[in-house]
Amino acid sequence: MKESYQKLKSTHWYGLVILAVLVFVFWGIFKILTPSNFGTMPKMVSYLQSSLIYAVGGCGLYFICVMGLFDFSVGANIVLSSIIGVSLCTSFGYAGLLITPILCGTIMGLFNGLVYSKLRIPSMIVTTGLALLYESLGVFVTNGSEKILSEKFRAFGSYPWNFVLAVLAFFLCGFILKYTKVGTYTYAIGSNENTAKNMGVNVNKYKIIAFTLCGMFTGIMSILTISYGTSMIAASNMSSMSRNFTPLMGTFFGLALKKYGHPIIAIIVGEFIISLIFNGFVSLGAPTTVQNIVTGAALLLIVCISIKPVKGEVVK
Amino acid sequence: MSNLLLRAEHIDKHFGVTHAVKDVSLDFEKGEIHALIGENGSGKSTFTNMLCGIYQMGEGKFTLDGKEVRPKNQVDANHEGISIIVQEMGTLSGLTVAENIFLGNEDQFVSKGIKNTAKMNKQAQEYLNEYGFERMIATSVIDHYNFEDRKLIEIVKATYFKPKVVVVDETTTALSQSGRDELFKHMRRLKELGSCIIFISHDLEEILNLSDRISILRDGDFIKTVKADSVNEEELKKLMVGRELGDNYYRTDYDSYIPAEVALSVKNVSVPGQLSDISFELHKGEILGIGGLSECGMHEVGKAVFGASYDRAGEVVLADQTKINDITTAINHSIAYASKDRDNESLVINDTIKDNITLPSMRDMGMFLSDKKLNHFAEQYAELMSVKMVNVDQFVSNLSGGNKQKVVLARWIGKQSDIVVLDSPTRGIDVKVKADIYALMDRMRKEGKAILMISEEIMELIGMSDRIFIMKDGKINGEFKRTPELAEETLIEKMI
Repeated sequence: MKESYQKLKSTHWYGLVILAVLVFVFWGIFKILTPSNFGTMPKMVSYLQSSLIYAVGGCGLYFICVMGLFDFSVGANIVLSSIIGVSLCTSFGYAGLLITPILCGTIMGLFNGLVYSKLRIPSMIVTTGLALLYESLGVFVTNGSEKILSEKFRAFGSYPWNFVLAVLAFFLCGFILKYTKVGTYTYAIGSNENTAKNMGVNVNKYKIIAFTLCGMFTGIMSILTISYGTSMIAASNMSSMSRNFTPLMGTFFGLALKKYGHPIIAIIVGEFIISLIFNGFVSLGAPTTVQNIVTGAALLLIVCISIKPVKGEVVK
Repeated sequence: MSNLLLRAEHIDKHFGVTHAVKDVSLDFEKGEIHALIGENGSGKSTFTNMLCGIYQMGEGKFTLDGKEVRPKNQVDANHEGISIIVQEMGTLSGLTVAENIFLGNEDQFVSKGIKNTAKMNKQAQEYLNEYGFERMIATSVIDHYNFEDRKLIEIVKATYFKPKVVVVDETTTALSQSGRDELFKHMRRLKELGSCIIFISHDLEEILNLSDRISILRDGDFIKTVKADSVNEEELKKLMVGRELGDNYYRTDYDSYIPAEVALSVKNVSVPGQLSDISFELHKGEILGIGGLSECGMHEVGKAVFGASYDRAGEVVLADQTKINDITTAINHSIAYASKDRDNESLVINDTIKDNITLPSMRDMGMFLSDKKLNHFAEQYAELMSVKMVNVDQFVSNLSGGNKQKVVLARWIGKQSDIVVLDSPTRGIDVKVKADIYALMDRMRKEGKAILMISEEIMELIGMSDRIFIMKDGKINGEFKRTPELAEETLIEKMI
């Protein structure tokens, strides 16, 4: 028994087994607590649909977080990209809705990367500062009014098109990680920047590329967000910050399970677990504050279990 | 036809105020193993690091096969036909074996921006098989392999493209005998193919066995190139140090009386996976040596005594019955510890010599610390240990291995520690500093200090210890008293 467990642990399947067990455990807990209004098949599909949106953002953040960097402007990026997307959708239809947020998100990501590499200050501070800038831009563009996506262009908010777009994004992310130099160099920089530099990796360039990719995936997430939520109001005073955390949670899952070789599946299933917990509490009728406490605690627990820090290791 | 492969002309390099390499000119030939030896800080690694693109070139030029080379980084050097295997970990966690082998050289598998991962993995596996490392899987994440296997993968990485020049920089200290044999096999193979291997090692026996020619550097100056078959170890030592090493390298006394007074007792100490039920007494005025194979648990003994082990069971008790369960109590009760992992566990590497020496003694200097007081303290003990430095404000990261160790020792001598735990005190240190450290240990012993020396070097154990414990699988497997007859083989027998 022990032997076969050790054998499983050394294979690629181990990460997937952990994820499957976690899904089953959380589904089981809430199913027992509220059997009638949680976890039926149609509901599970609906949880999955909402989690796909965050998983796309999580894929973008993965490029950044693997390098040990952070991007706290993701929320502001979503708000601004959505607003501009909605605006241009009125003139250009689906072309405007699809192209503009991706372009807009990518430009913001590139800008983040350039400012980070030029100023050489921690990414967390750079992106928090820039988040304020992007939020303010959104306010200027809308004059504070709510932007509503026309009913004619809401196909990406529901099945099947939300699935199609999200799955395309996941494949793209997986492809970049496995079949381009960007993927290898992202891991290399995350592992040891100096050694990577000595191997001829242009560290600054690939950090900028990672920020740009993060922005691009955030742009795709914006399309799904605005199509699902149908309206967006400009954020101010860092209120967009809360939008950073749900995609980030998926990224943490990806990081924790990356050694088992399936980071993207971990991001998707991780977001699905968060969605399960959140909806489980909704069906229990728990207030939002309690939901936040439990979601936060679940995240810490899951990351702890999967990372198992070595005793005495310096953690920063 | 000339056999000349690589010519170094007037190579010169400064690091701030340190003149690391001084106008060195050297020739390297095709199909030779050319050793570079010298004390720590003699400039060997600086010289080769410039050749390999790790450091920026200073003055002078390298000419390889008649063409000047000035690599900007390691990959650039690879493209010129130069590669290096380093002492530390040279592979990256989180990447697969294949990705590590081809890191920086993926372009051969990239077409229109898309990397042919399958082809890369296949090629990597072919190289691994070719080198006889079939058990390693190209697609596995490298984290699944231990340090030694990762070093073997580095050998593949550094040599698969049949470079003209391969630098092997103190790699052997990180390898077991079988790992060394693998390395030597491939060094010889490359030599037969006409490559030149620049071999850096502190192990003179190894140098004499493998090399064709040996070049000696001292304090950044080129001293001489000799043929390996025309010299012996003693002559090499003399050339490295610049003077004859006296007979005081190791202790010569064999009739020393070990005082009965116990300084510290270790009672039934166990650490999961490392130590199992270890008990012994350390006496004042003795040097107690602990030896064994690298993974036998001996390094954990040092940590356990210093209160730095996790999940330790059993007791470490001082003569006054104080129990040592944590590092603070250990330091407060005059215990000092110099770790094997000098850069990460003993030194604050990106800080000054002054801060490193004064750190544990600051609490004894009153509430307000004046710069003058700190400077005086640091200078006093740095000078006592003859640390080679510009001043005490110099960063420790710029010092050589031997000088770093001197800073660690200066710190604990300054703290007036009575019980001194030295884990691998002369690891990676040249003969001259070694002799200094041995002399210091002997002096401390005579002053009545208790020294626990953990060492992987058998000669050091035999040469310096009053008593020796040999460990195996976390247990003490043999105890020996200091006698002139004690032979290496006797100790090795208990190790394996």
